[in-house]
Amino acid sequence: MDAEQLLDIQGLKLNLPDGTRLLEGVSLRLNAGEALGVVGESGSGKSLTAMSVMGLLPGLKASGSILFSGQELVNLPDKVMRKLRGARIAMIFQDPMTAFLPVRSIGAQIDEQIRLHHRVSRREARARTVQLLERMGVPDPAMAAKRYPHQLSGGLRQRAMIAMALSCTPALLIADEPTTALDVTVQAQILTLLREIREEGAGVMLITHDMGVVAQACTHVAVMYSGLVVENGPVRDVLDRPLHPYTQALLAAIPPLDGPRPERLPTISGQPPTPDNRPTGCVFAPRCSFVRSECAVRPPLTEIEEGRRVACVLYAA
Amino acid sequence: MSVLLEARNLEKSYRLGRGRVLHAVSGVSLQVRKGEALALVGESGCGKSTLGRTLIGLTQPTSGKVLFDGQEISGLSDRAMRPWRARMQMVFQDSSAAFNPRRTVGESLAEPLRIHRRHGVRERVAELLDQVGLSQSVAGRFPHEFSGGQRQRLNIARALALGPELLVADEPVSALDVSVQAQIVNLFGDLRASLGVACIFISHDLSVVRQMADRIAVMYLGSIVEEGNGLNVLDRPAHPYTKALLDAVPRPDRALPPPLQGDVPSPVNPPSGCRFHTRCPIAQPRCATERPVLQPSGEGRQVACHYPL
Ligand SMILES: Nc1ncnc2c1ncn2[C@@H]1O[C@H](COP(=O)(O)OP(=O)(O)OP(=O)(O)O)[C@@H](O)[C@H]1O
Ligand SMILES: Nc1ncnc2c1ncn2[C@@H]1O[C@H](COP(=O)(O)OP(=O)(O)OP(=O)(O)O)[C@@H](O)[C@H]1O
Ligand code: SF4
Ligand SMILES: [Mg+2]
Ligand SMILES: [Mg+2]
Repeated sequence: MDAEQLLDIQGLKLNLPDGTRLLEGVSLRLNAGEALGVVGESGSGKSLTAMSVMGLLPGLKASGSILFSGQELVNLPDKVMRKLRGARIAMIFQDPMTAFLPVRSIGAQIDEQIRLHHRVSRREARARTVQLLERMGVPDPAMAAKRYPHQLSGGLRQRAMIAMALSCTPALLIADEPTTALDVTVQAQILTLLREIREEGAGVMLITHDMGVVAQACTHVAVMYSGLVVENGPVRDVLDRPLHPYTQALLAAIPPLDGPRPERLPTISGQPPTPDNRPTGCVFAPRCSFVRSECAVRPPLTEIEEGRRVACVLYAA
Repeated sequence: MSVLLEARNLEKSYRLGRGRVLHAVSGVSLQVRKGEALALVGESGCGKSTLGRTLIGLTQPTSGKVLFDGQEISGLSDRAMRPWRARMQMVFQDSSAAFNPRRTVGESLAEPLRIHRRHGVRERVAELLDQVGLSQSVAGRFPHEFSGGQRQRLNIARALALGPELLVADEPVSALDVSVQAQIVNLFGDLRASLGVACIFISHDLSVVRQMADRIAVMYLGSIVEEGNGLNVLDRPAHPYTKALLDAVPRPDRALPPPLQGDVPSPVNPPSGCRFHTRCPIAQPRCATERPVLQPSGEGRQVACHYPL
């Protein structure tokens, strides 16, 4: 069965006005009913990729292609983009306080979001809000809707934000580190929720630095390094058999939660390049233990087996 | 090995006005031996940072005692505390706020040294940088020229300046990338091996704690509910809360079991009996009325539960 292709990003580049390239040509795909985990070094461009899909990048010049259900989003007029945002594409953030105004109850803000995209009465909107909050596992949802953001715990606020993001049943939900600030017990509740959303047919793009979160909540994973996707594929394949030397090093650096305790954790020497001094060849070459002369030419992201892509000369045919 | 730090029945409460009292730390007793690493784990707000600060005299306990090297340090005035300060130091999570942005890091590192000695300050700064894996040549650079991981190394260098016997590190790696985190985790291991410094690591990341600590104390609503050898506690938890925390960690190799329901209750109105009973999957009627105390349960472990696993 061919799943519907929801998102197809090809060679997405993002430049600062001075020409500095923040994204070097990001490529990734996401089908409906799938969840794509986006992982990688801090500053590698995960959030910028997400914001590009949302069309929320004032002052940055985008090129390349972002197809959303077949529609090109790069350089889409603001007016059209605004209609998509909230209705068909929604986003949640690490800090729910950024999604809510502090001076109005969360219920009023979710009601408003619903009425922005649907012609329903206040009362109908509120009924839907309460129903959504209930689905998110918020206890006593009618009461909770009347609360101001600061009156809710971090976990409840996060669930309220997800409720708002889902209020118009978006086809694509983008979540940028939605659980990073939460305790593991609350995180587990949110991950269960994200899984349900995906199983109901939405596509989810989940940015995180936690491989456990990826394993739990995602069907696929894309690994980013210095403005590029260096590897992607089905989550089990990538976690069990990482191909790119960066992915391998990243996975090896995580301390294990069971089994023997290593004397030392394997580390990656050096630091990632900044956007203005990226190597012309493979972006990981200066830190790679497999580096060879061919690495001086940048390897493209290449499909090497069904659904698995990697950008590394070690796998060149 | 002999005991370096001991806490006896520590309480720390905060008055919130209108007669309400928040119990941040309640009834905590623990020991840290020389050179040992103890980790404090638990959910946000359970009192880890408050306990850490109270243990090294940065916060005064409401009641109870702290003994360092056999002598009571709780209740000491700032002045009386001064000679003890050099022997215990704190490392914080936020690695950017700690250094003066207008001074070179060499100057900042030299500052605490100058108070205590006149000679060899520059040599000591070089030695400190070396100990934390930075080149001596970075002494002339400013804080903004360093990456997050390097700044955390500088923080550790500063904490080491006066040769402390105990470091309290509050979330020392939680703001760092996985790959940088591994470097700092290794650095703490090296420092413990070469300097014999005892450590209290505060963290909410169980896999980090497993890697860094000899012993683990699990806290819930201000109290220790389980304490023992790190690998034993995490491989075979005895308290239902420790198990729930472990179960909630997403892992590559198994599906998440049903999550623990509800949020942590308020430390202003903690539940009666066992404080975990409102969320505990195996609670019995007795748990709501009778508070379990921390009791030895074999292999050097202590558990506060009427029905340990
Ligand atoms: N508006 C901007 N102007 C200039 N540089 C920017 C801007 N936004 C992001 N950057 C830079 O672009 C790079 C990618 O940033 P991005 O926020 O996408 O990283 P990230 O992968 O989300 O990192 P993190 O894991 O730390 O959130 C970084 O080097 C960042 O400093
Ligand atoms: N100065 C203070 N005044 C009032 N309440 C305080 C004060 N300091 C801490 N608390 C409260 O004491 C409790 C314990 O806080 P503490 O910071 O020790 O928790 P923690 O375990 O370190 O949490 P986190 O993981 O979020 O850092 C919390 O409920 C907190 O709100
Ligand atoms: S004492 Fe009772 S409620 Fe508390 S952890 Fe043990 S079984 Fe659960
Ligand atoms: Mg980001
Ligand atoms: Mg804390």
